Amino acid sequence: MSSKPQALTSIGPMRAFAANSKKIAVELIEINENLLGFNQYITEYYKQLSETWGVAQKKVNQKAPKIPQDVEQIEAVKRIWIDIFDNDFTELFDSKKFGENYGNLVSKELELTKHWNNITNVILQSVNLPSKEEVDEVYKEIHSLKKRVSKLELELKKEKRKNAK
Amino acid sequence: MQNESTVDPKIIEEILKFSRNVIEAPKFVSAPDEINLEVTPHKVVQQIDKTRLLHYKPITSTKHKTPLLISYALINRYHILDIHPEKSWVRNLLEQGFEVYMLDWGTPTSMDKYLDFDDYVNGYLESAVEYIKNQSSTEQISLQGYCTGATIATAYTALHPENVKNYIATAPVIDGWKDTTVISNLAKHMDADKMVETIGNMPPEFMYYCFSVLKPFEQGIEKYVKFFKNIDDKKYVDNFLRVEKWLGDTPPIPGELFKQWIKDIYQENLLIQNKMHVGDELIDLKKIDMPMFTQIAVGDHLVSPECSMPLHYAVGSEDKTLKIYPTGHVGMIASSLSQKKVLPEMGKWLAERS
Repeated sequence: MSSKPQALTSIGPMRAFAANSKKIAVELIEINENLLGFNQYITEYYKQLSETWGVAQKKVNQKAPKIPQDVEQIEAVKRIWIDIFDNDFTELFDSKKFGENYGNLVSKELELTKHWNNITNVILQSVNLPSKEEVDEVYKEIHSLKKRVSKLELELKKEKRKNAK
Repeated sequence: MQNESTVDPKIIEEILKFSRNVIEAPKFVSAPDEINLEVTPHKVVQQIDKTRLLHYKPITSTKHKTPLLISYALINRYHILDIHPEKSWVRNLLEQGFEVYMLDWGTPTSMDKYLDFDDYVNGYLESAVEYIKNQSSTEQISLQGYCTGATIATAYTALHPENVKNYIATAPVIDGWKDTTVISNLAKHMDADKMVETIGNMPPEFMYYCFSVLKPFEQGIEKYVKFFKNIDDKKYVDNFLRVEKWLGDTPPIPGELFKQWIKDIYQENLLIQNKMHVGDELIDLKKIDMPMFTQIAVGDHLVSPECSMPLHYAVGSEDKTLKIYPTGHVGMIASSLSQKKVLPEMGKWLAERS
């Protein structure tokens, strides 16, 4: 989009528009690439959940009588179901394979968010508003100043207390 | 007619009763806004940024000279320590004659994403300790930390031992590698740098996800079945709603603090190895040499006993006590067991040293 013939036609502000459009297009392409990875991890996530569900349900079927005959039996079946499901799912959530896949899934989700943030930044800058990075710099500066002031105030209080003794 | 199956009438009765309870539940349930979680009267005596220092109004004449400051966790809010008059941790301590302060960490906003361990330990906690020392004309205070609040309190106590007369660690998060909970497994595989860089503060929604993987069927199904079964029991419903309101209200965690938390505690496990830095200072647990009382719940599924217990053995204190209770993370601080056993034992220990 920023090729010479296009740049020639993009005079003044429109030239920035062309450059911004290119940035947004790049982000959208990368979003699509990330979506592939994201889909892979989310499929694995639900596969792990459904497999664990299936195994747990089989265990319940083996342990519990087929048709509960009274209130006590219903209660017993419920207890068996909850114990087995909690146990099997905790084992899954505690496993390396779940932890790794979940970590990758969140990581891909964050990459998608990052692209969305980049698109937003392009739009913000096109209307002369500060980008996320610029706002973060201000937050960082405020944090650093507040920290210095708080430390000085605390030191002053301690000194006053010492002198009062 | 010989093959006709019979159904126990009690089953039908139970199903009808349960359905009736579900239908009638709205009549017995208060809206979240109608539930007041701040039970014991207190005053906000100091406010720095979003944090507040609360001073509880004495119930009896103060019997012990050394005031107690509670450093609550970073997840959910301090209300669980004062959830109900009959189960209030704070009220029990006031009744035992202690002067009680609580540090409310508040609700960080996007602007607070750069707050780190140093701000919490050497800023907010240190300011609260200095305020209490000034007000009570004492040189030292007693400090109690709960859960992640105990990690902050541990760091503080190691860096400023001269200010702490007695230290109580309740379910502290200390040894990340030994933690056997689901939370630690998720934390170990997390890209904290990317998370904080992209979204800033750790959002409550992520915390709710982490809670949802803890005993999902007991907590996600059975708990509510029990609630509907007991809908006629006013006391049960009141307690249930209070805890539910507390559970559903967790503030975000400042990004930098969260990042250091995940990396230093769960991934690299620096604290227990005396390799963790807060600001520019190295935390040496051996410097915790005052009387120390550690409380651990054997059924804790948020902070496993294996994660908390190493603190007891790592500190330099000679006068130290380790207590293990047959309960869970919340049961240790807000239950009838906490009122009948945990608090009296802690109060006795603290009274002898205050």
